[in-house]
Amino acid sequence: MSDQNARPELTLGDALRALPLQAPRADVWASLAKELAPRKRRARFVWPAAIAACALAAFIVIASLRHVAPPATATVAASSSSYVANDTGNTMNAANALKATNVQLTALQSRSRELEQWLHETAGIAAPLPGRDLAAAGEIESLIGIIDVELAAPQSTHEEELWRRRVNLLEDLTALRYSNYRLAESGATGNAAQPTTWIN
Amino acid sequence: MSAGTCDRSVRGCIYSGVTSSFFDLEVPQTLIDRACAGELRAFEQIYRRFERPMYTLALRVLGDAEAARDTLHDAMLKVFQRIAQYRSEAPFWAWLRQIALNEALMRLRARRPIDTDFDPELIGDDNAAPWTQADGATLDRALSNLPDVTRSVIWLYHVEGYSHPEIAEMMGKTTSFSKSQLARGTARLRTLLDPAVESVSCLIKTPALS
Repeated sequence: MSDQNARPELTLGDALRALPLQAPRADVWASLAKELAPRKRRARFVWPAAIAACALAAFIVIASLRHVAPPATATVAASSSSYVANDTGNTMNAANALKATNVQLTALQSRSRELEQWLHETAGIAAPLPGRDLAAAGEIESLIGIIDVELAAPQSTHEEELWRRRVNLLEDLTALRYSNYRLAESGATGNAAQPTTWIN
Repeated sequence: MSAGTCDRSVRGCIYSGVTSSFFDLEVPQTLIDRACAGELRAFEQIYRRFERPMYTLALRVLGDAEAARDTLHDAMLKVFQRIAQYRSEAPFWAWLRQIALNEALMRLRARRPIDTDFDPELIGDDNAAPWTQADGATLDRALSNLPDVTRSVIWLYHVEGYSHPEIAEMMGKTTSFSKSQLARGTARLRTLLDPAVESVSCLIKTPALS
């Protein structure tokens, strides 16, 4: 590719390559690190921060969100089972298997986003979780965090399984939150449902 | 991919085979993987490794420390933002160098129209090589006195090992343009460095002429 044989100025090349490398006077890394830091934080599962950030917004949109229901839970199962039903028998070749995996993965990711969105939107509206549920929610969030770390690793070999576990955990978290959200909405009895308790 | 080939299917990477490039540094796959996972310390290690080659390339193309610093910053940011897109078909350093060079050339293009004037009379005698006698600082100063595009072509050809067609493609010019810039720049360097030529006194800045 290079026409090196035709180069008459090889000596000039040697002289130029012998020049020392230059370095910037200012520390460029410091500013780069600042810009990259948010990226690192985003890679982690930051429910506490997300919930805190949502709290203020929730006061403003509280009325309009009171009737928001959690997403239906059958999306993934339906898309998956219908696809499998269409391919019963032994006709599924490698291409179809790959396609099925991609479809399933996309469905799981979509479902995950859906659940996260709902949790995000209702975080400030739902009544505070009672002690035991709160501990359970914390544990679920930690497990989701661990899965996110695994998903962030390149070339994850069991990506679909990880996403499935993530969705299951999010559904558990949704179930916990939804019961308290419904309590808060209906003003039902119990400390958790008292507006004076959950608004703050 | 072996040295000396150029796989243009790999995300537009132009990988020249002359392995004298300052970028030709080994980067462990584990380090790249950690950076892909968003680990800031891995980013820093990559940055420290390529800071000087990238800054030097930007400085040689742009001839300006401030612009070179901005280029280093922006190119590194792009590297880290796109690192998940990197595929190991091409060496990591070649991928990174291409991002840096694209960034520098983009700034060069935005600066002013590329000067295409070429005076064949400027081509001097290849046998005389005053840079063999010049010290690094003098050669550095002479290099900085060249027009940006001319200096860029000389640097990309001689130091980074790009061919004329590759340089022409990156600059949106013809192969002849690249060749003429190389010849022009070489002749100009010769003039600046040769003590027998009057203009060298401007470079040295003797009291009598300054």
